[in-house]
Order: sequence, then structure tokens, then C-alpha cells
Amino acid sequence: MASMVANGNRDGRQGEALVLKGVDPETCMIVFKNHWAQVVKILEKHDPLRSNTSSNMAALGVIGLSSGGPMRFGGPIPGDEASAVQNYVEHMLFLLMEEDAGQAGAMGPILEFVVMENVMERLFLWSLRRQFTDDMKLEQLKMYEMIVGQARQPLLHHKPVLRPLMMLLSSCSGTAGPEVEAELVSLLNQLCCVLAKDQSVLELFFHTSEDQGAANFLIFSLLIPFIHREGLVGQQARDALLLIMSLSAENQRVAQHIAENTYFCPVLATGLSGLYSSLPTKLEVPGEEWHCLHREDWLQMPTLVQFLNSLEFCNAVIQVAHPSIRDQLVSYIYNGFLVPVLAPALHKLTLEEVMTTTAYLDLFVRSVSEPILLQTFLSFILLHRHENVHILDTLVSRINTPFQLGTVSLALFQTLIGLYCEDVMLQLILRYLIPCNHMMLSQRRVVKERDFYSVSAAKILALTPSCCSPEHSPPPLRQLDSILWSKGTDNSPNTGTMETEESFLEEDGSGYSCVIGSEIYLDVNYLHYLYNARLGISSCTRACQVWSAPYDGEDPPPEEGRQAQTTTDPAPTNQLELEWDDSYDAGPVVSPEAATAESSRPPQPPAAEPPKHIQEMRRTAIMLVKGSYIEESDFQDDVMVYDLVAKKDARDTVNSSEVIKGSKEVKAHVEDHNSNLQSPLATEVGDDLMDQYEELIRTLGSDEAGTGGSSPVKTVDKEFRNPVVTPMEEDEVDFSSFSVDTPELEKQHLSLFGTKLRSGSTKSHSVPFTGPFVSVLLSRLENMLDNSLHVNLLLTGILAQLAAYPQPLLQSFLLNTNMVFQPSVRSLYQVLASLKNQIEQQASTKKDFPELITSAQHCLLARESSLKGQDSRECSPPEAGRMMKSSPPPQPKTISLARTEVFATVLFTEFLKELAAIAQEHSILSHVPMEE
Amino acid sequence: TYLNDFWEKGRSDGEEQSGEQQQQQQQRASPARPSFGKKQLPSIPKNAVPVTKPASPAATAQLANGTHASYGPFYLEYSLLAEFTLVIKQKLPGIYVQPSYKSALMWFGVIFIRHGLYQDGVFKFTVYIPDNYPDGECPRVVFDIPVFHPLVDPVSGELDVRRAFTKWRRNHNHIWQVLMYARTVFYKINTMEPLNPEAAVLYDKDVQLFKSKVVDSVKLCNSHLFDQPKMDDPYAISFSSWNPAIHDEAKERMFTHKRRPEDHQKGLQVSGLSWVKPGSTQPFSKDDNPPQS
Repeated sequence: MASMVANGNRDGRQGEALVLKGVDPETCMIVFKNHWAQVVKILEKHDPLRSNTSSNMAALGVIGLSSGGPMRFGGPIPGDEASAVQNYVEHMLFLLMEEDAGQAGAMGPILEFVVMENVMERLFLWSLRRQFTDDMKLEQLKMYEMIVGQARQPLLHHKPVLRPLMMLLSSCSGTAGPEVEAELVSLLNQLCCVLAKDQSVLELFFHTSEDQGAANFLIFSLLIPFIHREGLVGQQARDALLLIMSLSAENQRVAQHIAENTYFCPVLATGLSGLYSSLPTKLEVPGEEWHCLHREDWLQMPTLVQFLNSLEFCNAVIQVAHPSIRDQLVSYIYNGFLVPVLAPALHKLTLEEVMTTTAYLDLFVRSVSEPILLQTFLSFILLHRHENVHILDTLVSRINTPFQLGTVSLALFQTLIGLYCEDVMLQLILRYLIPCNHMMLSQRRVVKERDFYSVSAAKILALTPSCCSPEHSPPPLRQLDSILWSKGTDNSPNTGTMETEESFLEEDGSGYSCVIGSEIYLDVNYLHYLYNARLGISSCTRACQVWSAPYDGEDPPPEEGRQAQTTTDPAPTNQLELEWDDSYDAGPVVSPEAATAESSRPPQPPAAEPPKHIQEMRRTAIMLVKGSYIEESDFQDDVMVYDLVAKKDARDTVNSSEVIKGSKEVKAHVEDHNSNLQSPLATEVGDDLMDQYEELIRTLGSDEAGTGGSSPVKTVDKEFRNPVVTPMEEDEVDFSSFSVDTPELEKQHLSLFGTKLRSGSTKSHSVPFTGPFVSVLLSRLENMLDNSLHVNLLLTGILAQLAAYPQPLLQSFLLNTNMVFQPSVRSLYQVLASLKNQIEQQASTKKDFPELITSAQHCLLARESSLKGQDSRECSPPEAGRMMKSSPPPQPKTISLARTEVFATVLFTEFLKELAAIAQEHSILSHVPMEE
Repeated sequence: TYLNDFWEKGRSDGEEQSGEQQQQQQQRASPARPSFGKKQLPSIPKNAVPVTKPASPAATAQLANGTHASYGPFYLEYSLLAEFTLVIKQKLPGIYVQPSYKSALMWFGVIFIRHGLYQDGVFKFTVYIPDNYPDGECPRVVFDIPVFHPLVDPVSGELDVRRAFTKWRRNHNHIWQVLMYARTVFYKINTMEPLNPEAAVLYDKDVQLFKSKVVDSVKLCNSHLFDQPKMDDPYAISFSSWNPAIHDEAKERMFTHKRRPEDHQKGLQVSGLSWVKPGSTQPFSKDDNPPQS
């Protein structure tokens, strides 16, 4: 049997099948019986009990399984006898497989014989009796895989077939080698396929395993440990589980069993934590321009691929499974992965680690498609508080970091805004706009007004710097096509131009052309902006149809918004704890009265110190800047930070032994860091987690082998509540020992980043404020001339994304240049106007500015056309489509990207066009009901 | 709806509109009309490379007055588009308009009078919008056939609109109001300062004769209904007699259209997300949110 089955000799089998075709069933039956008689002879010769009753055999089987060791009765079995049995069985199985079902679905005679004589069970016991090695298991598994997959009549309906299969399966769990595991999963997968096709087998799977004292629905439980496996085995296991998941959607019993009696959901969710811990804690960033993990990035990282596979599996389970399983899984992901693992990871101590986590989070949000899972991630981001600070607030404040963390954070928000999710937009911006506090009272009616005559667009375009106005740039930089705009004072001008046009069409061959005339020259590239704006606004408007309210200044009513603001903002103290508090510098200065009003509120917990992780983050950043704000590469590596910390420690002559211990650890960390991407601390965390994970699997195994346990999930639950919190805390303890006062550094921090550290503490919402997100975006935009090109691309991309939203509150705030805002409110238009002034100043002081502008335009054009080539980029930010479109220009004089003010000027001009185009399209689009 | 669909097509659906078709339309359009010869901006398909013609020195000189000049046409175009979307929104009873192919400043229209003296009248008209819109005069309304009416010039067919809009005020006055007015004059007859004194006098002195003259006028107008449009423009409104092969299906679609919004929403996978309970301003306030803790 082994020889044939193990080799999977298909040709041989087919040959046999052909031979069998002509043979009549009776002959087959006789052959089968003869073979069996021979087998039985050998079997009985070696049976110590000489018993034929199946109940005894079953009992033996169980004993055999529980002891787990090789089973031998009555001395060793001679090899020739073993192979004789093998040969007979091989033939018998073929006969069984090839047998057709009897009339009206009755068993064929061979199957009936197999059932009556308990053939399969006896064969299983026979292999137990011999040395039950992995080879033996493999042989048996393959035997079942073959007959289950290829039999012409249903076999699993019969207990004498199913029971030994179950015994075999449970004997293979746990200890087997990789080959057996692969075969086991393959068989389980096949069984799940049978289940999916024929649900009547399901009942039997439940009952049979009960008889055996094993856990109910064994095939499911056996698959669980393979959920997070990489490679084919993992994939097969996940496919099989998905089959059962979709079964659960229709079958209450399966759903209930999985949700209440198995560890499926906890294993799946906390497995994410385990896989997460093996991800690099610091990414090797390809360059300064890098801001998010593209497909080609993460394909290079096997651990990340594995994580994403599991995340994708969660996504798929949530998609198909019964609601009870779905809800449980989502809850475990939230409480077992997001809160205990991702939240602390987002608050690690170094900029690089935090940046890496942010990039992961961005990737995860982009990878998830099932709304409920997405909602879990979003509610974590929007509502979860880590050390009393909303994750969202922390993320928003990081936009303002002058490091790559800021860029990566921007990319995350680009992803979030691109979801067209009402909850996200509500928390980020809309809730600050609903009360309409940001505008003068008389302006409320303007919110819904339409800009009939493109007044806003005209005002925005009027900010175009003189050095960039259309007349100054020749084609191809600016495609000034003359579009016929004849005033029609005479009757015949068209005839002439028509001819020209036709010849143009012929030359062009594309069938499209702008009409060529002679009167006014238009910026054709503006047409592209209009086109893109139209696409953007329409898709956004369509997406927002599922929203609960129009956000037009009336619904939700401004009064309600004011209440909501006070209730959603749990404590004003939150805001001072933000890492990069200068995001609030745009906020209003609070009058003494307002401050008093604040103090009359119910007392808040004293906001003496920001949370440790924030202090630490600040400190590392300060160190970096103070110690050597020299080269970018220094930021790639935390060695410098730790060095500084250690030096400072030595100076401070702290004699706490803990600190010394700590600094040693840091040194070790640093050394290790040099050789390895992963810090030992992170590995520790990971190991710990993996231990717990394995512990769980062990618990699972023992529970199953035992009585089944009254409520296994609950006990596991405890273990799983805080799987990672403890190691994370340890992580922080090491570093918090350095938290000696650093007052001078704090002061320098203030001057370095222009931070008003406590400005958030007295924030009151009765004072007009458009929210931290808008505020921080505008702050960064204000520095456009100093920002690098890619930061500006992201920044303007996000603002354009926001401007495309059809909600009048948002539109009027961002695009309506006629709107009169409260003096303390900074508007986009104001920032743009101040940028124009800065640019004009630069242009007037620098002689070669026009020349540089031309070079930068050429450079950006080249960049644009090279981007067009690689459209496969997974997260394609709008930037790809928003720069000037044209054929590649002649090779211009090169310009260094370090001339940020030049690139910013070019980008600024394009951004104005983009915004103006959006404003114009809004005036004709969003007020027309979509369905009409 | 129909008009809107058309408009969408005209504006942005460049890919569907083949170059050949465009060419034909333009050729047909060649005998240009006086005073309103603005070319509508053709749609620019995403990948089309616009034909570039180097600016002539003369034209460049014209640009010297600043950035605005380059964008002025866009502002006018969009102002008119905005007006047009407003007209659609108003759902004026019995009035249909669509801008001409050649110029956004010229709109073709038809008005159906459903009761009153002019009952069963179907009058085609053209709206002419001044090219300094919205800062110029009131748009003009000219009927293809001069209807017998005190306020309609018996020769040119122009309706006296100016009496209702003595001064055209931007933001205040809109083209739909002009169309509305053009409808009202057929239900509420005004004989003050008439453009057609004969009609005014008859209405005041001999209503019966006035009525019979109106009936004749309506008959005349309706008898010319199936004539070729006066303007040779692909978007001019033209009537044809009922052809079941073409019109039955269209009619069917118009009648089943009412059910569309729901179907539309079901069929189309909406990409947006919301867990906000209507009436709430709290995120994740919907009841069916799975618990997170």
C-alpha cells in the first residue's frame, strides 16, 4: 500500500481503473473478500487480544493515542507480512474507490462489506500496532485522502469509515513532522471541501468525535494551529477554514460551536500580535522621499508578507463568517492586537520606531477591505486613548514633526481621508466646523451658497506669482493653446479656422484636439485640472451618499455641534500632552475670561507631566537635534541618541544601580542594532508573545484531549487580555530610568521648533477653532517654501483631497474666498496669500529666480512622465495626476532639489490651479442631485 | 434628467464622442451665425494630447493684462454651466432648454402651454446670453415663430424680457427666472407698453377676436413644429413624428425611470463609509456597531 499510495502513482491507478471497467461487480467483490481474508489472517496472528469486536478496538485506539508512543503488541511484525498486507490493501482500496453506489443511493457491496467488517478501523489499528511512525501516518493520511477524494459513492456517512479517520486525525495533531503536517492539512482541506458540498456529513463530524471523547468538530480544531503558517500549508489551512466559515454563516450550530467552544478567534487575532512582533521595528528607508509602504516594498519583507496574509485572512473570515464569529473576531483584534500591541508600538521611544509603526498602520488600513474590520481599525485610531491621549490626536500632532515621521503621518492621513468615511471626517474636521463658530454670524447663510461666477477660482488664481504667470513660460512648460473665443462680430471667421483645425486633426491623428483659433490663449493644462477635479468630486460625492447628514451648516444644526464638541472632547488636558504641540500655534489666544470659565469646570486631573513616552520622544528628538543635527543619516540610526543618553548619564552621576543596568542594556541594544535590524528588546517582546501563543495552543491541545473543559474560551480569555502589555511596560521601564530632568533641553526644544508647549492647555471650544488637523496642515503649508518637494506634494495632495469633498461646511471653509471668518481663524486662502507674498519677495531678491523656475518646471515635468511609466504603484497618491501633463521636455539645466523655494513656487502655482479647478467644478456639480 | 444627461455627454464624455462625429458636427456648423459665435470648449479626454499652436506675437501682447485673461473664458463657461444646472434644478413646468453645441451663450428651448388662452401651444425659442455675462444686459428670448402676443415682437419674435429685469443683477438674477417669465406671459397677459400693439389692443377691446387670433397663431406654430431647426446646430431642438421603433423604448425608460434611484443605490457599490447615526455627531454611533470591548 505504501509504495503505491505514497508515490501517488496515478498512472498505475488509472491503468487499474481501465482494467476494472470491464470487470463485473461480483468478481470485484470476490477479489476484495479474498484479499481481506488474507489480511485478516495476518492481522489476527499479531493481535494480542484475538478479539474482533470493534468496541475493544476503539478502546485500544484511544489508549494508543493518549500514550502517544509507538504501539506494539505481541512482538515485532515481520517485514514480509507487513508488505503483504500493504499489497492486499492497495488492491482493496482500488476496488472500493472504483465501486459505484448501489440503486437509490444504497451502498455498493464492497462498501457494505467494509462497513460490516469494520475494515478501515482494523487497518488503522494494524498500523498502530506496528511502529506508528511519521511514515505510517503519512501512509494512512494519503490513503484517506485518496479514497475521500476519489470514491464514487459517499464514504464519510458511515461511521466505520469516519471513526478511524477521526482517530487518525487526532493522532496526527501536535507532534508530527512537517511532511505529516502538510499531508494532514491537505486531507483536512479535502474534508472541508466535502463538507461544503454536502452538509449532511456535518452532523456526523460532530457526533463521531463525541464518541471518541475528542473535541467536537475535530477537523476544525485541527486546522487552527496552522492559521498563521506561511507557505502552502498555511494557505491550504486558511482556505479550508474559510470553507467552514462560510458554512457557519448558514449553520447556526457550527457558528455557535466555533464562537463558544473553540479558540479560533483568539488564535487568529492574537496571532496577528505574534506576527507583528516579528516585523522589523525599524525600516530601512530607501530615501527621504519615501513615505509609505508600497507593494514592492513589503514584498521584500517576508515577515510583513506573512502578517498581511493573516490580516487578509481575518478580512476574509469577517466577510463570510456568521455574525457571532465575526463580532468575536473583531473584538479580539481590537482588544488582542490593536490596543495591547499597536497602541504601544505607536508610542515607542524613537522617532524611527514610531515612524515604522505609522507606516505599518497605514499599510494595514489600506489592506483591509471589509467594512467591519475597517471600522475596527478606524475606531481604534479615532477613539482609543493610549495613556489618556487619543491616538488620533497623537497622529495629528506628529504631522508637524520635522522628520520623516511627519511625512509618513501625512501619508497615513491621505489614506484615511481617501476612505470617504464620515466618522473620520467628522473627527478630523467636521465636528469643529459644525458649530459654525469659525465664521461671522452673518456668514452662516453663505455656507450653502453657490459660487455662480467662479469668483473664488478667480481669486485663487489671482495669487499666481508674477514669475509663474502664463506669459513667462514658453511651451512645453505651459501649453498655451489658443481656443477660439470669437466674439462673432463678422460672419466668416470660422471658415478659416475650421480648415486649420481639420489639418491639425489629420496631423494629430488622435481624433481629439483643442479648437485652434487666434484670439485668446488659454492654459490648456488647466483643462486637465478641471477634468481631474470633476472626477474627484463626482466620486467623492457618490461615496458620501451613505453619510448621515449633508453638513451644510443646518444639518447637523450648529447648536448640536457645539454640544457634541464639549462631549467628545473629554478633557482639555489631553491637548497639552501631545507630542508636537506647536500644531496648535495657529489656535486662538484665550482671553482671561475664557480661562476663568475653564477653571470653573469640574476639576480635571492635574496635567503636570505629559506621558512618559511623549517626554521620551521629545527628549530623543531634542538630543538628535542638539547633538548633531548634521546629516540626514544620523536620523536613520538611533545610535546617536543612545550615545547621547549614555554620555549625559555619566555626567549626571546618578548612582542608581538601575540606571547603570539600564545603560548597559542600551549599549547592548546599540551594538546589536548595528548588526541587526531588530533590537533585542523587540525580540524579547516577540519571544514572550510567541511563548504565550504557544502556551495557548498547548492549552488548546490538553483541553481537547481532556474532558473538553467547561468554558475554555473564558480561561484563555484571561491569558489573552494582556498578552503584550507586560513586556511593553518593561520596555519602557528601562528607558524611563533616564527620565532625569532636562530643563535646558526643554527650553531648547521650545526655541528649536517654535513650540508653545502649553498652548493647548487653555484651549476652549467657545473660541473659534477649526481643529488641530486643519491647523497643523495649514502650519505646514505656511512653511511650503522650506518644505521638501515630496512633503509639499503630500500636503497639497491632502488639501486638494479635502477640497473635493462636497459638504458645504468643508467647501465653504476651504474654497469660498468671499467668506468672512472670525479674526482668529486662519483660512487656506490667507495662507496662500501669505505664500504668494513670500514668493514675490524671493523672486525680487534673487536675480536668477525665473531661470531656476524654468529648470524646476522641466525637472517636475520629467518626474511626472517617469511617474506615469510606473502606474502600478499600489497607493497612488493624487500627485501622480496633478502635475503638468506633457510629453517629456528637452533636457534642461539641472537644479538641486535642495532649492525647495523654487520647487515650492512651481508647485504652489500648480496647486492654485488645482484648487481653482475644484472650486469651479463644485459650482456646477455638487448642487445637482446625483440621481437626476 | 434627459437634458442633464445630454449635458454630461456634451461636456465631459469625450471618449464616447468620436473625433469623426465631432468633425461632422463642426462641419455642419460652419455657416456661423452672427453675434454668438463662441466655441464651446471641447471635452479633453484624459490621454489626449492637446494640439499646440505657438502663440503669435500679437496674441501674446493681448495677454499683457495679466493672468486673468487666460482664465476668463473658463469663468464665463462655468458661470453658464452653473446657470444651466440651476435651470435643471428648478424643474420648470413645460420648459425645456439646452445650450447649443457651438456656444454656451446660446440656448435652445421649447415651451409647452398646458392651459389658458394659449393651451396646446408648443413654442420653440432661443435664449441669447450677452458675452459679458453676468455683468451685462438681461438675456434675450426670441421665439422661432413670432407668437401672437402683446409682449412678443411680431417681426423678430423677441419677447420683451427687459421689462421684468430692468437691471440684471449678478447673484440675484438667474436665467431660470427669465425662462419662468417666458412661461408666465402666456398665462397672465399684460398689455402695457406692448411690442405687438395690435395684440394688446385686441386683448383689451375684443377678447374674442384676440382669442381666435391666438388659436390661429398656436396652429401656425404647431404646424411648423416638425420643421428643421432654424439654427444649424447639432444640439438644436428638433421634433419628429412618433416612431414606435425609436420612441416606444425611450418612453418606456422615462416611465420606469422613477424607480431608478433605489435600484441605482443597490446596484452600485457605494464606496463611502459611515457609522454615524443620523441625527448624531458622534462617530460610530450607529446601533449595529459591533462592540469593541
